[in-house]
Amino acid sequence: MASAAKNRFKQDEKRRDSDHVSFLRHRGFRWLWVALALSAASIAGYLLIDQQPRPNGGTWYGYTLGTIGVGLILWLSLLGVRKRRINPGAWSLKAWTSAHVYLGLSLVVVGTLHTGFQIGWNVHTLAYVLMLLVIATGIYGVIVYAALPASLSANRKEMTRAQMLDALTAIDRQLESAAQPLARGDADLVIAALEQDTFHGGAWGRLTGSYPRCATRRALRRIDPASDAAARVHALLTKRAEQLAQIRGALRIRALLEVWLFIHVPLTIALIAALTAHVISVFYYW
Amino acid sequence: MAFLIRTIDFTAAGREIIRDRVLEQASLTVGRAAECEIHLPDLAVEQRHLRIDLAANGMLAVEALGTLGFGLDGRVVTEGTIDPRTGGEIALGAARLAVARETDGSTSITIRQVAADEGKGDALRGFALASALPSKRAMSWVFAAAILLLLLAIPVASHLLRTPVKNDPKGEAPGQVVLDAAWSSGELSLKHHSLENNCESCHVAAFESVQDETCISCHEDTANHAAMPRQAKGIPPPTPGDAIQWKIGAALGKEGPLGCVSCHSEHEGPVRQKPAAQAFCADCHNTLDTRLTDTALGNAHDFGKEHPQFRPVFYASFGAAKPVRAVLDVKPVERSGLKFPHDVHMDARGGAARMAVSLTQYGAPLECKDCHSLTPDKIGFKEVKMEDSCEGCHSLVSGRTAIGGFRKLRHGDVKDLAEDLAQISSGPRPALAPRRDRPGQIGSGSPYRADFGRPVRAYIGLSNALSPGGVCTECHLPTRSKGQADLMPVNLPDRFLTSGFFNHEAHKKEECTDCHAADTSKLASDLLIPDLKSCRDCHLGATAVKTRKIVPSECAMCHAYHVPAGQWSPKGKAPHYSPAPTPAPKPGPAKTTVAAVIERAKS
Repeated sequence: MASAAKNRFKQDEKRRDSDHVSFLRHRGFRWLWVALALSAASIAGYLLIDQQPRPNGGTWYGYTLGTIGVGLILWLSLLGVRKRRINPGAWSLKAWTSAHVYLGLSLVVVGTLHTGFQIGWNVHTLAYVLMLLVIATGIYGVIVYAALPASLSANRKEMTRAQMLDALTAIDRQLESAAQPLARGDADLVIAALEQDTFHGGAWGRLTGSYPRCATRRALRRIDPASDAAARVHALLTKRAEQLAQIRGALRIRALLEVWLFIHVPLTIALIAALTAHVISVFYYW
Repeated sequence: MAFLIRTIDFTAAGREIIRDRVLEQASLTVGRAAECEIHLPDLAVEQRHLRIDLAANGMLAVEALGTLGFGLDGRVVTEGTIDPRTGGEIALGAARLAVARETDGSTSITIRQVAADEGKGDALRGFALASALPSKRAMSWVFAAAILLLLLAIPVASHLLRTPVKNDPKGEAPGQVVLDAAWSSGELSLKHHSLENNCESCHVAAFESVQDETCISCHEDTANHAAMPRQAKGIPPPTPGDAIQWKIGAALGKEGPLGCVSCHSEHEGPVRQKPAAQAFCADCHNTLDTRLTDTALGNAHDFGKEHPQFRPVFYASFGAAKPVRAVLDVKPVERSGLKFPHDVHMDARGGAARMAVSLTQYGAPLECKDCHSLTPDKIGFKEVKMEDSCEGCHSLVSGRTAIGGFRKLRHGDVKDLAEDLAQISSGPRPALAPRRDRPGQIGSGSPYRADFGRPVRAYIGLSNALSPGGVCTECHLPTRSKGQADLMPVNLPDRFLTSGFFNHEAHKKEECTDCHAADTSKLASDLLIPDLKSCRDCHLGATAVKTRKIVPSECAMCHAYHVPAGQWSPKGKAPHYSPAPTPAPKPGPAKTTVAAVIERAKS
């Protein structure tokens, strides 16, 4: 009985520990070691096995590496399926993610050795380059996931995204009433600022934080705060610009956090298509 | 110090109702309780929710009275200040209190109800990058579809729908399969480069390895290394791994380790094929006798370590129909049917040398090249012709012709000789001295006797020529055939080493006599082909260390795979193999050439 309780405690302790361990450190870097072992074995085999007339993907060792590679790629891409399924068991999502990252990195070695360093303008190299791009975006993803959330939180200044939008709406309502005394030209500038989409600027603007066509800033530049009313509108526009800057800061960090997936995922699917073409074409013209 | 409270409501029809009231006080409370200055009937609002105080500097201090905060310019706070000149907005439940400074200096608070923001969730989505980029799914579909269509579907469809044409090794016809260039894993070798855009000329059927039949349709002269069943028996059994690989390969139409493509791998770049490494030969020939128990070939795996003694082809008996290969370790005795002591001819101070010096044709003691000249392939030597090489000294001149030239006995056929000798005997002869013929004087020297007497003299002449001491037997061996005097047929193979090649050009820095002991050979029966040991003075196996003298020698230096006697050349024009010399067949079975041996070896 005591031992059962002790076991239970041990189990819970283990769970509590694992809850706070990053997927990179999962189980003492278990998958890092697996990936290193796989890479080392591949390199050793490549160096030790004499392939006639020269190493390439068509020798038995080349086929072996290719089979390992295609198996890994298909399994790694299943992370997208696995993460949508909430199920218990030894194969935790964290373990999957850890294996996904480290085994994905070992694909650089396995895939490169499979090519036998023969590169050309063909479907085979297309698959290889797509694989490298997918891995490169994945590395970027791991790095930004580690680095950016802190700055995202710093940028929020204890506001939720909804509050940021609410604040903007509040400023807009005040702007609308404050702008009533303005003449036509200035009123039009305020209307343009109010009507511009909060998320204006597109993906490029989000990633670079550069919004050259920002109507709020244009209105700020052009409205002369000579009269009381204009000064009030100007002050409100400044507030609006500050609020927009916070929102855009959030957008930028968010975009930097997410952009890799927009390459990683479509290129993974493209890679699977290229792999299909690669494998079929190789055996079609054997 | 006054607050202008403006309440904006809407009727059921949507019409705005604006009510203004003025509160002359410096502080007011907002809440659900009826006593509050600003009364908001909203359950989300506390009874006394917050208080607004007008500070001396004109700023408004807003402070929550309970534990719940309030919205100030979108942010939830429990206290804050508003500058009435720029204004501010307080959110309490569904009410929005907009604070502003009126022109008369009073502070206005405009209260309006806002509808619950149902679109808020949607607005939040704008924060995700997905709202600014095409969807990942759409991009995936587009990329995958483009790749599968362009790089898979179109080549496969055009391959399946084409009408196969005859092989086109020169690549004059355009390729029929569209976009399959993207399938090529590398450039073709130099010899096949013209086929670069014509994949289907080699890759004929789908999911089938390139077939030998396809290769042979152009390379029709290429011979098998040995008969296929013998090769199959001769190769060592594959390792378990190789066996699995070949089994899989066979399922996809590979023709096993003896197929063309198992050695000739393509798409390795625009280079020439390299000769096979020594291991390639040694794999089978190392222990060939254990598998091909009836083979006449000795085991070999390295020229310096294990290589059988040379077995030159020669005629072992006079007038033999076919040459034989020398038996190992028995000194061969060649029966060419000729007398030719090399030493006599090569002695720089002997009679032959003095004779040669006196002849303008030579002008110096005889050398090897005076009789032996290389064939264009630089491997063998041209046939030694009596008329060109011997007759300068061994003259067959039999008299003068009427126009001042010389008459010669014809060489080559005993019948011709008999005719020529008969003519000598029957021809008119000038008298030795002027004299008158007397009646009845029909002497042995007279034309009459020659013309009408018994034909003894011609026969005697022929018999003399063919007997020991006669003009023919200076070089030939006398014999008798069908009861008549005759000469041994001359049997000399065109080539002695038929399963490998020896490039004389590559050895031109050496003297002939360094390898061929011609200067000490007293008899024509000496076979002057050097043995293995003499080659090993310089040539050792592939693993030997190269020095000024030692030449590491792989199998391919002397042996070619497809034509054993042909030479593989790493450069120069096609074909890679110079075919084995096959001179035109000569009349008579005694003149059988080495080609016959090769023929037999092939069959």
